[in-house]
Amino acid sequence: MHPILADARRLLWYVLAWLVAGVGIAALLRLTEQAEWAGALAFALPICLVWSFVALSSYYICRGLPYSQRRWPVAFGLFGGASLLAALAWLGLGEAWDSMGGLLARGKPFVAMTSPGWVMYFAAGFALHLLSLLAHDVLVAFESVQAAARREAESRVLARDAELQMLRTQINPHFLFNSLNSISALTGFDPAAAREMTVDLAQFFRRTLALAERERITLGEEVALCEHFLAIEKRRFGAKLATELRIAADAAACLLPPMTLQPLLENAIKHGIRQVDGGGTIAVDAAVRDGTLRIAVVNPVAPDDAPAGVHGVGLKNIRERLAVLYGPRARIAWQRGPAQFAIEIHLPVDKETGA
Amino acid sequence: MTSPTPLRALIVDDEELARRLIREYLQGHADIEVVGECENGLDAVRQIAALSPDLVFLDIQMPRLTGLEVLELTGRRAGVIFTTAYDEHAIKAFELHAVDYLLKPFSKARFDDALARARTLHAPAAVTPALDALVARRTAPLERILIRDREQVHVIAIEHVECIEAQGDYLAIHADGKCRLKPQRISEIEEQLDAARFLRVHRSFIISLAHLQAIERPGPDRHAARLRSGKRVPISRSGYEKLRALV
Repeated sequence: MHPILADARRLLWYVLAWLVAGVGIAALLRLTEQAEWAGALAFALPICLVWSFVALSSYYICRGLPYSQRRWPVAFGLFGGASLLAALAWLGLGEAWDSMGGLLARGKPFVAMTSPGWVMYFAAGFALHLLSLLAHDVLVAFESVQAAARREAESRVLARDAELQMLRTQINPHFLFNSLNSISALTGFDPAAAREMTVDLAQFFRRTLALAERERITLGEEVALCEHFLAIEKRRFGAKLATELRIAADAAACLLPPMTLQPLLENAIKHGIRQVDGGGTIAVDAAVRDGTLRIAVVNPVAPDDAPAGVHGVGLKNIRERLAVLYGPRARIAWQRGPAQFAIEIHLPVDKETGA
Repeated sequence: MTSPTPLRALIVDDEELARRLIREYLQGHADIEVVGECENGLDAVRQIAALSPDLVFLDIQMPRLTGLEVLELTGRRAGVIFTTAYDEHAIKAFELHAVDYLLKPFSKARFDDALARARTLHAPAAVTPALDALVARRTAPLERILIRDREQVHVIAIEHVECIEAQGDYLAIHADGKCRLKPQRISEIEEQLDAARFLRVHRSFIISLAHLQAIERPGPDRHAARLRSGKRVPISRSGYEKLRALV
């Protein structure tokens, strides 16, 4: 809707401004002796009132010509043409209203306009409409600047959320303390395994820190990070956790935001494997097809464990993050079957130059 | 303070290494005998009932049932040593009720300390008031109601509960067209439920606002709630006022 029509106070001021313009036209008519004050006002004020609403249509013309896609000759032509057409209509309205005055009780037209008078009136209509177009143009430009600023602020907030999310993943206290507890247990009977697990934990955090600073990493780098993560989780959950990673070579070279796959695996363990009595296998498939990188993660879930909201929060975060970075070009979908949970991410293929 | 007969201990944790660590720490204590290990909450409920161990090492975050839910279902209120890696809610509750707990990873010295404390508190069949309060007064509203029926444990999601009725020492939980009995006081469960979703409309009735369909007036000054299932529940005068304020 038009911003002036949407707000009663703004509309009032706007109409008042037009009535002032009407008084101005009446004064001009009086000064050039085309009419008495009463006739001049009776002529100009209603016309300006009607025209104030007609002029609002400029908003839609200006909005149809956004600055970024504007070709100036076209814009000038359109503004000039629109003003010319509007001025013709304004002239017609003026003549019609004037002769209406003649039909009304007074018996004679409001104004006794001479030909130069009508020319002047026509010119005033043209100027007023052009002014309205230009004013609207400024208004529209202002609006779009504001909207852009708002969008930018929104995406900054989302980016910061993603960053916080990543920091939280880096120092997921549950993961960290449980891993340290496992290492503590291993030192008693398998010091070599304890050492290996310490190294995996260190590598996982080191890689996370290094990757988190970058905007895009290759899927191969992300998978290397996930392998350390899975090595740690396999120590914790033993035979309960098995994994099958099938990463096609061309998929491994694709770029994606860091920590896209890792949270999926974390979810698959937390809400899937851990809850199933005998555990199971997490299958990860990544392949490129028709310019799209497709990453699928499938894991078993406990059949009677139904809280739908539990999976939701983390996945919604990933969805929002991908939406900010890729817009409609990224897709994420998940599905919970009776015994398994499947999630699939589609991203546009984006490869490092020379990779 | 060593007991003449060994203390029988049960270790509950879903991670094998965590259980193994506790076993190792226990090796220095000749008066403690490990009688079993469980890797999930349901198993823990069964084993606690079957073995009635003197001491339970209980992890808080476990699949199926949490440590606190295990206590709720088994009615066990003594001889429990909690272990947790990280759980803000649980730790807050432990602090509040001065219940001892072990934060993973823990040292041998800290473990021995907790064990010594548990030994002094250990008195068979006694109820530790702190633990009782911990189980009864959750910090977060209930998300599901657990009912133990001999070997089985029924888990009822809170959205499915239509109404709860006090029947003597039991609560009748009405959900999904079934009615199950749980030994609990109505005032206790009232405290645990989300006040925005459940309302005590009568001395013996709590209803779910999501399942409320209409308020009926069977007689002057008498009200009843009709639930979506068609069930009717009496509303007391004060219950009616509370309901009016909410709806």
